[in-house]
Amino acid sequence: MVNKIPKWNLVLVLVLISEIIVFGLINPRFWNISILLNSFNDFVAIAIIGFFVTFVIITGGIDISGGSIIGLTSVVTGILSQLVGLNIWIAVIIAITVGGLCGLINGILIAYGRVQAMVITLGGLLLYSGIAIVLVGVSGASSYEGISGFSEEFSSLAYGTVLGIPNSVILFIGMFLIAYVLLHLTKYGRYVFLTGINQNAADYSGIDTKKIIASTYVLSGLSAGVAGVMLTSYLGSARADFGSEYLMSILTIVVLGGTLITGGKGGVVGTALASIIVGFLQVGLQMGGISTQYIGLATGLLLILSVALLSVSAGSKNSIKKLLMIKSNIKEGEV
Amino acid sequence: MSKFKPYLVLIGMLLVLSIMTACNDENGEVSNENGGEKDAKDIEVVFIPKMTGNAFFESGNTGAQQMGKEIGFKVKYDGTPEGTVANQVQIINSAVNSGADAIAISSVSFDGLNQALKKALDAGVKVVTWDSDVDPEYRSFYVNQGTPEILGAMLVDMAAEQMADPNGVNQVAWFYSSPTVPDQNAWVDYAEKYIKEKYPKWEIVTKQYGEGNEQKSLQIGESIIDSYPDLAAVIAPDSTALPAMAQAAENKGLTAEDLIITGFASPNSMRGFIENGTINNHGLWDVQDQGALAVYIAYYLAQGNELKVGGTLDVPNIGEIKVESNTVQGYDFEADDSGIIVLPERIVFTKENTSDYDF
Repeated sequence: MVNKIPKWNLVLVLVLISEIIVFGLINPRFWNISILLNSFNDFVAIAIIGFFVTFVIITGGIDISGGSIIGLTSVVTGILSQLVGLNIWIAVIIAITVGGLCGLINGILIAYGRVQAMVITLGGLLLYSGIAIVLVGVSGASSYEGISGFSEEFSSLAYGTVLGIPNSVILFIGMFLIAYVLLHLTKYGRYVFLTGINQNAADYSGIDTKKIIASTYVLSGLSAGVAGVMLTSYLGSARADFGSEYLMSILTIVVLGGTLITGGKGGVVGTALASIIVGFLQVGLQMGGISTQYIGLATGLLLILSVALLSVSAGSKNSIKKLLMIKSNIKEGEV
Repeated sequence: MSKFKPYLVLIGMLLVLSIMTACNDENGEVSNENGGEKDAKDIEVVFIPKMTGNAFFESGNTGAQQMGKEIGFKVKYDGTPEGTVANQVQIINSAVNSGADAIAISSVSFDGLNQALKKALDAGVKVVTWDSDVDPEYRSFYVNQGTPEILGAMLVDMAAEQMADPNGVNQVAWFYSSPTVPDQNAWVDYAEKYIKEKYPKWEIVTKQYGEGNEQKSLQIGESIIDSYPDLAAVIAPDSTALPAMAQAAENKGLTAEDLIITGFASPNSMRGFIENGTINNHGLWDVQDQGALAVYIAYYLAQGNELKVGGTLDVPNIGEIKVESNTVQGYDFEADDSGIIVLPERIVFTKENTSDYDF
């Protein structure tokens, strides 16, 4: 059962490689490395939230408030630095903390209040984006208007490069490593899995599952905060509606990455690969001359086919066995 | 065994990445050689609407595609159903990456696209705006449907000519897409000045915004009717707000006799409302011409040609256009290669002429 995941990662690697080959054949410019690396800018926000939403989904929960936490942290960053006049980096730290707080609210209500995760984070989704819009209104800008005028220094966060590698790629790798180490190499990560497999059993074995569950939402909120700061820098303004279109994309890459939506199984390597696959799919299709509005269609197909494949490959042995059993039973006349 | 594979993947990814970047020292940016005239068929212009699926922008695209076909250059229509800054940035980036020569964009934000457009310009891509402008430093020319003076006055006059007593006390509401969209706000600002001078007794009771969303616009339209029973006119200079406002009036059983509704939208989206008497008139410019002109200017620049403020250009099917300075739109930024091209004519649609147009 557990060794299914790495196998799935191998499938994802193959999909990614074939994607690169096919799109490169359609438009050779796709093989330009700087284009591929720069395209990370467009999905790094989705990816880093996805890494930590993976934790949440492994514990058996779900977090759909990430997109609106992006908008809230973006607005907080804008207001604190542009209107209050705080140093931009202090504003960034406060904004990420706000993201963590939103996650904490979700986590406490879900873990200690024993409310459905879907309901709470749906409420969070509406609440946090509402707060963001109100904040913008209070600050004197209209809800549709961004707060702009950030310093060059802050813009270079998203547009800068280190040794030729865009910062977005560095951020992607950095967040991936943090998530990977936490989930796959620490005791905490093992507790996350155990909580997802069977919360009661984990409880009896002395794991404080409520704390574990709450902490995954905090991590997810913090990562949304980082994503919000990154997007604010990338788009050069702070707006309440940033991230609103990411909700489904985040869940897409987690599920496509092989994490079971029912919890207990998954991994951030798959999420990372899936985010690159979906991101490159968009770039590749656009370069192939397909209009952006049809890209959702391709992503949907990819998701449905691959998840179907995932469950077929997992359950095929069992179902074939069952079929054979039934057949042999019929032969023996015992049904 | 199962613990082992993720490592491999990660190490592999890092290795590939480092190799990639090692070979990537000099070709950081994609550059276009501007070696004089290019062949038309080698030029690709990406035509970007605020949002797809809206009659106004689809008509603009029709004109753009026709112009491309006629001259022989490629026009790619690329937008998303929801007009957000993030989406437009992504589309601009992908246009630059896929080797487009020029962009013609109707922007959802005056300054939200600056970074992306700067990157496009640095990569040698020509940037033209149409319908809705950006900061003039980040584009060469803006294909303008009319200066705020022309369009603002046109909006007020279309409403005034329907009033029983335009010089008396009349309650008027504004209804358009958003408080930050550059074009519509400029028209409304001028229109309010014009009202103060010409119809000082008019009272602006509310400004409502539908954010380009059809459902939301319909709800707002109905709430305007419910909230202001003594309203004389609603002016909706937005291709989503105007049909929604007319639909709201129709739902409430109002005709043009009860409430004057006018504004800007394409005739195809308003014909039904004119014919059944919900509205008497509305205006627009020939958006097909606008789309065609925008991609032609983009193509002309991408060929390596120069166009300067004060100069003229003969455009196939459209005629001679004149390049004016950014100041006609009230901007401070002036440069030789950054200006405004105003469309030659605007149209008021009524029962008599609405069927003569198809866009």
